[in-house]
Amino acid sequence: MKAAIEFERVSRHFGSVRAVDDVSLSVAEGRFFAMLGPSGSGKTTCLRLISGFERPSAGHVRIFGLNSEATPPNRRPVNTVFQDYALFPHLTVRDNVAYGPKMAGVDRSTREAAVDEMLALVKLDGYGDRKPAALSGGQRQRVALARALVNRPRVLLLDEPLGALDLKLRETMQDELKSLQQSLGITFIFVTHDQGEALSMADRVAVFNEGRIVQEGTPQDIYERPRTRFVADFVGSANVLSPDLSARAGGAHLWSSLRPEAIGIVPEGMGRITGEVRSVRYLGAVNRVMLTLPEGGISAAVPASLPLPEQGAMVGLSWPDAAVHLMDGE
Amino acid sequence: MSSAADTGAGVSANPTARGLASRLSDLLWRRPVVFLALLLALPLAWLGIIYIGSLAALLVQSFFSIDEFSGRIDHTFTLKTYAELLRPSNFDIILRTVLMAAAVTLASAIIAFPIAYYAARYARGRMKAFLYLAVMLPLWSSYLVKVYAWKLILAKEGILNWAVDGIGASAMLNAVLAIPVIGGNSLSVSYIGTFLVFLYVWLPFMILPLQASLERVPKNLLEASGDLGASPSQTFRNVILPLAMPGLIAGSIFTFSLTLGDYIIPQIVGSSRRFIGQAVYQHQGTAGNIPLAAAFAVVPIVIMAIYLWMAKRKGAFDAL
Repeated sequence: MKAAIEFERVSRHFGSVRAVDDVSLSVAEGRFFAMLGPSGSGKTTCLRLISGFERPSAGHVRIFGLNSEATPPNRRPVNTVFQDYALFPHLTVRDNVAYGPKMAGVDRSTREAAVDEMLALVKLDGYGDRKPAALSGGQRQRVALARALVNRPRVLLLDEPLGALDLKLRETMQDELKSLQQSLGITFIFVTHDQGEALSMADRVAVFNEGRIVQEGTPQDIYERPRTRFVADFVGSANVLSPDLSARAGGAHLWSSLRPEAIGIVPEGMGRITGEVRSVRYLGAVNRVMLTLPEGGISAAVPASLPLPEQGAMVGLSWPDAAVHLMDGE
Repeated sequence: MSSAADTGAGVSANPTARGLASRLSDLLWRRPVVFLALLLALPLAWLGIIYIGSLAALLVQSFFSIDEFSGRIDHTFTLKTYAELLRPSNFDIILRTVLMAAAVTLASAIIAFPIAYYAARYARGRMKAFLYLAVMLPLWSSYLVKVYAWKLILAKEGILNWAVDGIGASAMLNAVLAIPVIGGNSLSVSYIGTFLVFLYVWLPFMILPLQASLERVPKNLLEASGDLGASPSQTFRNVILPLAMPGLIAGSIFTFSLTLGDYIIPQIVGSSRRFIGQAVYQHQGTAGNIPLAAAFAVVPIVIMAIYLWMAKRKGAFDAL
């Protein structure tokens, strides 16, 4: 597949701060690509390097094979959905959406038709004459989306697009964004610090830390085979076992990760190791048991069909060898 | 004994035990109307009686007329005084003042915008403090001192002429001064001089509101505009200017109305042809024609009202 966006050893320094540090990356056309990482990890700067609001201190950013350094933001075939939407407060919803085509000199009737189509696409028909201030957060989000998509970008950039929405709305919008991307078939690149969002929406994920990409792969890769402790911690899915603990439990003397659902709770003395039940959290289908080991804490996910241990009880923990994933990084 | 102490310290069951101040604050909390009345009594008295009252008195005066033979004021309502405003000699004064105010407003907007834009968008820390100071500093010194200083600067023997001479551009200055109507013997006795002093004195009143409005334009709106394909000049016309409009209007209200009403600057720097302020001054003073002075004074009020109404119709306050 052709690459929509390529980073070739790109760095962006602000004074002594390396916001983006020697990042190489390739996003194939038609992908739903997530840049995941904590705040300050460089993911937003990477997005701004694509949109052109930042310029690389070193390296090249290529958009559809062309070097982008000399192209200002207004002449790039990408559009952005901004974090807090950045809707023009003095324009109506309709004029906000029509902004791009108007700047491009599209004639009035074509423009109006495109705006109508976009407002229908984001289910905001009938809201055209309102000002952004009269809309809810979810509606503003949709206007921002329509305003970007009306320009038929080849790549849509989304900067924490769902960050300002409440949980329920966020879940609905996740589904809508996903189906929108599939029906339009254009490349979506979105930045988020929410691992659940990244894993559920994207088909490729790059995990950022301190200006670098620490792992890139499918959501399954990231979730099941975190490459470093940072990824395992940040994605939050897996227990990280220290080399000593790993060895004590009968494995190799290496850092490794172990998913909570792979851990079985057995009577004391029967498992690989013994732990004390610190707390039990009832979550519905799967319950979470937090245990204390001499090396620290570990969590196990217990299906609702199995009995839950008492708090303070000593229990054994067992897991199949295959569930342990060795990590090569720190 | 202990139970009595408990009630005293509890939910203040005993009002007499508390001070007047705390009872008053309770009253204000229970009766928000009383609070608002207290809050607004003094400013409302000031604005209502002193300001609006005298304005009304002025308006009433303008509908009286003066008896040309006795010089006495005739207290019957008439539009005769207003008709007098339309006499060529009086109408010229109005036209001259309005044109001057418009020119001063336009020029200060053009000069203020880059300064305000820089102060709002780029200046940080010390630079910002310096800019504030630089804009405000002229306001700290006496208005009369500044105007007289300008008279000296612009005079034929003044520093400006000397400097222009020094760079060998006096031919150019003379050519400018030779322009009929706005030119004159020297800058200090020409409309150009009056204009320059007005511009200098009122400029801060344009910069400050303009800067405040530009500061409220979020940076990401400018980025969004560029992202959507707008060139920098399109962004300026479609985003920055409309969002800065309330500040521009506020600033222009200051510069326009201050120029309309001023009678000292044209007296000290400029030709002998009068502006509205000077006409008011003379009619209510030496000439003793209070009705005509009042009618003249109403003119700037009417012009400002028309100006604001037009600005509103043009949507200047939509971004407010």
